[in-house]
Amino acid sequence: MEKIKTKIRISFYDQISKNKLKSFFLMFIIFLIFLLLGWVIGSSIGSEYFTLIMIIAVLFSTSYLFIMYYSSSKIALASVNAKPAKRENYPQYHNSVEGLCLASGLPKPKLYIMENDQINAFASGRNPQNSIICITTGTFKKLEKSEIEGILAHELSHIASYDIRFMTLVAVMVGMISIISQIFLRSLWFSSFSSGRNRNNSQAIFMIIGIVFAILAPITVFIIQLAISRKREYAADASAVKFIRSPTGLIKALKKINFESKHLKLKEEFKNKKVINKAIAPLFFSDPFRKKMNRKKDNLFATHPPIRKRIQVLERM
Amino acid sequence: MAIYFILGIAIFIIAICIYYYNRFVILENRIKNSTAQIDVQLKKRGDLVPSLVKIVKGYAKHERKIMENVTMARSLLLRTKGINEKIKAGDQLQNALKSVFAIAENYPQLKANENYLHLQTELSAIEDKIAYARQYYNDAVLFLENASEKFPGVLFFRLYGRKKKDYLKISEETKKVPEIDL
Repeated sequence: MEKIKTKIRISFYDQISKNKLKSFFLMFIIFLIFLLLGWVIGSSIGSEYFTLIMIIAVLFSTSYLFIMYYSSSKIALASVNAKPAKRENYPQYHNSVEGLCLASGLPKPKLYIMENDQINAFASGRNPQNSIICITTGTFKKLEKSEIEGILAHELSHIASYDIRFMTLVAVMVGMISIISQIFLRSLWFSSFSSGRNRNNSQAIFMIIGIVFAILAPITVFIIQLAISRKREYAADASAVKFIRSPTGLIKALKKINFESKHLKLKEEFKNKKVINKAIAPLFFSDPFRKKMNRKKDNLFATHPPIRKRIQVLERM
Repeated sequence: MAIYFILGIAIFIIAICIYYYNRFVILENRIKNSTAQIDVQLKKRGDLVPSLVKIVKGYAKHERKIMENVTMARSLLLRTKGINEKIKAGDQLQNALKSVFAIAENYPQLKANENYLHLQTELSAIEDKIAYARQYYNDAVLFLENASEKFPGVLFFRLYGRKKKDYLKISEETKKVPEIDL
């Protein structure tokens, strides 16, 4: 007798809102950790030093934010040596994106292409009016129209949800927490050599708590940042289905990518490491550094959810 | 003390009135815009027809009736006003085009012609785009419908005398299967 699996269907609207809510909640947690860290450190070293640390952290973070905000696309494109995709050479690319823009009401992003045998794509840009999509040459060779459309819809979803802007903000907050922790820990190291200031008991307690926090906070918020990235990926998958109204193309594309990663030769993996900068790996459709070992478990340190799980969720839509 | 309270409430009420007024304006304009997008695609489809007719006539000299159908459907589309009628006319044209592509199967030289293939790809892309544009139109109508029926939007909707828009339905033309004379 055949086992009949009853799948509970889920709507893409619910998937989108659920994952977005989770990502906002996680960002709020990061913000709380930031406040907590600030309070503990401030209580342990006194307000003048603390203000100094905060100023340095804010300066670094704001300049990073400005640079990323205005030129994240240029940086990402330059790092993979992407070229603009002309309409004469890639009519299907342009037609698919135009169709999806009609479905989503978004302005059409600038389209780029990068030389790479892997099936992958990324999107960048601070808002839909200033956005770009870049896709690999390998994608066109290996996928058919509905599958390519699925990937393009996923990238367009990132643009529509302002994911790039959101993840940049999260990265800035995580960065600030790292900077504050680092400065605090280093300042302690140096101050322990100078003739010590008199500290009272409560400051000493805060000092200990502060050290513990300063060591744990950066790694904790980094893990949270990756969790947020995974939630946004699920939301982008669901939004892609919202645009196309069918998960089939995206499912087939993910299955092909999964198959490809199983048979990824060692020399191809090495080539990827040279071409793709680790910093922009999170922007890609699927983890360009996926190793065979990490595929099975739900990796805490993965920027993308496991492909198997993404397919599972999509098949229930 | 009471005066500040009343002032606060007054400002709140004004703000909420402005909010809902603007909301309906935005949602209705979205619907208008998507109507225009559908129109653009329909026009593109109509514009490609003369080139297609010219090429096909060169190879399939005896299929006069089908070519006439297409040309007639195109002139009908050009003459029609109003989005619902235009969409109907567009669907009629698409049906006629389907017959053309069907008979092209019998002429291998035509099928191999580069210009014909290019036109076929373009028309196919336009068909996809019209489908997406209609989807967006219906989504926009849904948004307006939700905003106009939820509380408290429903009160403002009636207050401002706004009208709801209709969904685009599948016209009878597309449901018909094209006749092919074999």
